Amino acid sequence: MTRLVVRRLLLLIPMVWLVATLAFVVVAAAPGSYADTIDHPGLSAEQRAELEARYGLDQPVHRQYLRWLGSLAGGDLGISFVTKEPVIRLLARTVPPTILLGGAALLLDFVLGILLAVAAARRPHGWFDRVSSFLGLGLAGLPSFWVAGLAILVFALILGWFPASHMRSVAASGLSGPAGLADLLHHLVLPACCLGLVGAAGTARYLRSTLMDVRGERYILAARTRGLSERRILWIHTLRPALLPVITLLGLSLPFLVSGSVVIETVFSWPGVGLTLLSAAHARDIPVVMAVTILGAVAVLLGSLLADVLSAAIDPRTREDSP
Amino acid sequence: MRPSRGLHAGLAGLGLLVLLCVFGPVVLPAPPAADPARAALLPPGAAVTEVILTDGRGLVSPDVTVGNEAIVVRGPFRDTELSPAEVVSVRKGRFLLGSDRMGRDVASQLMAGGRFSLAIAGLAAIIALLVGSSVGIAAATGGPVTDSALMRLVDVLMAFPLLFLLILVATLFRPGPVALALILGMTSWMGLARLVRGQVLALRGRTFILAAQAAGASKTFVARRHLLPNLAGPLSQDTALRLGDLVLAEAALSYLGIGVSPGMPTWGGMVAQGHRVMVEGWWLATFPGLAIAALVISLALIGDGIQERLTRGARS
Amino acid sequence: MKKLLGFSIFLTITAACGSPEPASTTPASGEPPESGGTVVVGIVSDVQSWNPYLVEDLESEHVLSLLYPSLAVEQTDYHRHPPSFAPSLATSWTWSEDHLALTLELDPDAHWSDGAPITSRDVVFTWQVQTSPEVGWLYGYVKDFIEKVEAVDDHTVRATFTHVYPYQLMDLNDGPVIPAHAWSKIPFEAWGGADWKEQVLSGGPFSLSDHTPQQEITLTRNPWYFRSPLPRLGRLVFRISPSASGLLTQLLAGEIDFLQSVSPDQIGRVASRDDLEMVIYDNRSYTHICWKTDTGHLADPAVRTALTTAIDRQQIIDVVFNGFGRIAVGPVLSPFWAFNRNLLPLPYDPEAARAMLDEAGWTDTDGDGFVDRDGEALSIEILAPAENELRQDIALLVEADLEQVGVKVEPRFVEWGTLMAIMDSGEADAVVNMWEEPTQIDLEGLWHSPAPGEPTFNFGRYANPEVDELLAEVAELTDFADQKPLLDRIQALIVADQPYTFLVENTRITVHSSRIDGAEINAATPFFNIDEWTVDDAAGR
Repeated sequence: MTRLVVRRLLLLIPMVWLVATLAFVVVAAAPGSYADTIDHPGLSAEQRAELEARYGLDQPVHRQYLRWLGSLAGGDLGISFVTKEPVIRLLARTVPPTILLGGAALLLDFVLGILLAVAAARRPHGWFDRVSSFLGLGLAGLPSFWVAGLAILVFALILGWFPASHMRSVAASGLSGPAGLADLLHHLVLPACCLGLVGAAGTARYLRSTLMDVRGERYILAARTRGLSERRILWIHTLRPALLPVITLLGLSLPFLVSGSVVIETVFSWPGVGLTLLSAAHARDIPVVMAVTILGAVAVLLGSLLADVLSAAIDPRTREDSP
Repeated sequence: MRPSRGLHAGLAGLGLLVLLCVFGPVVLPAPPAADPARAALLPPGAAVTEVILTDGRGLVSPDVTVGNEAIVVRGPFRDTELSPAEVVSVRKGRFLLGSDRMGRDVASQLMAGGRFSLAIAGLAAIIALLVGSSVGIAAATGGPVTDSALMRLVDVLMAFPLLFLLILVATLFRPGPVALALILGMTSWMGLARLVRGQVLALRGRTFILAAQAAGASKTFVARRHLLPNLAGPLSQDTALRLGDLVLAEAALSYLGIGVSPGMPTWGGMVAQGHRVMVEGWWLATFPGLAIAALVISLALIGDGIQERLTRGARS
Repeated sequence: MKKLLGFSIFLTITAACGSPEPASTTPASGEPPESGGTVVVGIVSDVQSWNPYLVEDLESEHVLSLLYPSLAVEQTDYHRHPPSFAPSLATSWTWSEDHLALTLELDPDAHWSDGAPITSRDVVFTWQVQTSPEVGWLYGYVKDFIEKVEAVDDHTVRATFTHVYPYQLMDLNDGPVIPAHAWSKIPFEAWGGADWKEQVLSGGPFSLSDHTPQQEITLTRNPWYFRSPLPRLGRLVFRISPSASGLLTQLLAGEIDFLQSVSPDQIGRVASRDDLEMVIYDNRSYTHICWKTDTGHLADPAVRTALTTAIDRQQIIDVVFNGFGRIAVGPVLSPFWAFNRNLLPLPYDPEAARAMLDEAGWTDTDGDGFVDRDGEALSIEILAPAENELRQDIALLVEADLEQVGVKVEPRFVEWGTLMAIMDSGEADAVVNMWEEPTQIDLEGLWHSPAPGEPTFNFGRYANPEVDELLAEVAELTDFADQKPLLDRIQALIVADQPYTFLVENTRITVHSSRIDGAEINAATPFFNIDEWTVDDAAGR
């Protein structure tokens, strides 16, 4: 078990290097530069050159790469072109809100997904199964920004139940303790639901089909002949083996969750990594875009590592260190 | 919903959408002309009267009075009084799905946008299919060094959250529609490469392939005769699901303001534009949103249906 | 009674401990400033820097204007003459005999928020910053005619100009005063990379109390503010949301109180709300189409006049701007003193436009519905920024209008950076663009024939020797009243040439919660009289 974790962690290092290099190659291959985005046509050639020199854009590509890689290895992600602050500080500020939002969405995704799947699998092709699988399909098919826009219109504007944006209300800067937490959760509801419901639909669909597969296995039939209650069979004997692929799904759904956070954070002005990525992208703030992209990839790698370790912990068959 | 029925429903849905987008403009009655001054933001089903003038212009308004002396076309800002001599014809029309801010028929826009969305996603899927299967086959047959190099590349690319990678590339390159399809295709072939590699490796050990090779069949023959039919199922299932993802990805990029130019309305772009006036004209964002959903759902049903057939086929 | 008295004394003491209130800031009226309340303002982007000489956008400038004081405040009386100025940090000023030197007296009670006095040293330092090539202030050129700025004593400053012209005080006043005692420690070369948030000091009505980048800026009333009375508001919070329609949603949901600009096509949902107030005013800008005048089919002024005549500008106002705005006439906005009141917008008349094109040699010889000359069709590519939906709509309307007179139009929407590059190159047939017109009448930059190879705002490469000559003459005149007849001539010439089709003089719609009272908003700044804003806090916050 420990060996597995250590080996996977060691494998992570060359992966991160490759990820970073790929991001650099893409950026270096792009036309234009930061100076192009400052929309003042009066900008003279000298001023432009001055800007490029200030940000090291005038050096040959391999120099830029080495310089950048060196500082990356030292934990220095550079300085934002736009806000002039160290990128690492920017990330330190924006990662926690994203983890909060993503965590809440993931929780919703799995709890709701499992409940729906179990309810649907209880009577396959029954009315609940049909309705929920149809709704699940619909949710998975609708663009998340469309759903979010509708949610804001209905729940923030018409009903006024939840705030339409941001992570805290203005007055909350003075709030602390339970009141502050309540304010935060109040703001979390809409974005987390918009992000999590789509995932829940997918999880439910996936888990339902594995549940159906497991139901056909011999030992379930055996359990049934032994006279165990349907409920017990479903919750203990069927669900547990079916959960294994769900944990794999957890690793796999992380990239979608991270991607989805860009859209949801933009719609809700949620102060996370996704919003930062988008505004940096619009301003061509290259150090920030690169850092966030790499961070996203690292998060995904860590997620799949976590999923592997978890499934190894649950399933004795994979626990032994087979190659 | 039973799987085979699901497959049929999916195919029917996809077929209907494609047919509507491609042949809709030919089959359906011509929509009223665009008249931004008098027929902007009319709700779905709005009945209008179209007045064609001698100089070829069409005035469209829900409120037109046709008299013997004069024809009055009313608008929110100005009324226009015309003498019968100026008018060639008067006909009734209807905006089935409403009109947009420029008085254009949303239904026609939706069909045009669908053609763009489908073309972009389709082209991207073809690119992904080509790149993915080439890489997969190369990895499976090219020896251990090629294999591990290619598979590491796949691992690295798969580690990037798709939208992050798309945003990075799209902001840097500001793509047109073809370039966007290329970018979408080039960032979504990795799953396919794994799939193809796995299938090829699995098939390689199977007896019928070994037998064919022993009988002296050429590589291309084996590939065409045995590999392709066995790959067709998984590939088409994967492609169906991928197409849905691509449509959604294109929509998200358009929404975030880094998709194709607004002069070229895709469904995603239409939702994004409609969002601005969600209160004034709910139909602008709603119908393209539903169209995307219908397309993605159809594709998901097809994907599931194929999956079901494959497993059933494997069992029997 | 006694108990109550004791209670109020206790309150006063805590207040005094909480914030150091200098004696000089007791309000003139004698009544204590009300405790305030909060106004939440929505903005689309964060401040680029807390140093006003490193920012490049208007929104940042508006926020920073609340922290860094100006010498004087420009008034909105540009209808009759160049704008006049009201005293601010400079309480009075006198001109020398020859009108080349200006001596300003600074408010002796003015302080920075760390307690240091604001002195002539700050003003001199500010001028050094403004003209420093290392700092590279974008608007450094407005100081070109200032020879030197020097301190006479602690509270007296003298500025010397290279020549006499109507905008001397305006140019001197441009750019806020910054704290020399704190900022002169940082060498100019290091300014670009410095963290200015750590260096913020306020000399204005509010001071910075909290800043969460990309999210929120909180300003609180600055107890050291030199003008009395202190602002009534206790707190001004800026909420940042990247999308303008997202901000509108938040305004409607009651999460923000003030939005400087609401798009006219979204105004419907505001109009129906009685807890929101709309302020509609001229924002001193005009939308136009810039034609390529040096070569090609559009080089003929008669063709351009025909195109303008064929474009229904009232329809553009109705459809795109929801009826807000008025038809533009020429290069000077109609409310300005310098506007030539004898000029009228060209009429909308497609028949006449066809006749003009015909006269210029453009007729439909091959019967395809489009005019041609020597076998070539008159076809124009009109560019609009991909980020601006309203300008795209204009391009579409123009396409329809011009097709009526047989001119083929292809609208193309390109991303802003690309659009700038194309305009710079002078190769665009036509661009839908907008200019904000400064209150300093300067026709030179847009209308003087461009010097080859130099960067220019004259994107259409308009050149008229007579206009060039008149512009040179205007620059020689020291009095605006003498300039006026020449400016009138220039406008008449430009309108006759139609290098632009002047479309619309724009209107801005500011929307704020009716909690806010006493706000006077103008095109220069949304916070013109921020000192006098009050909020009815029955509504909470």
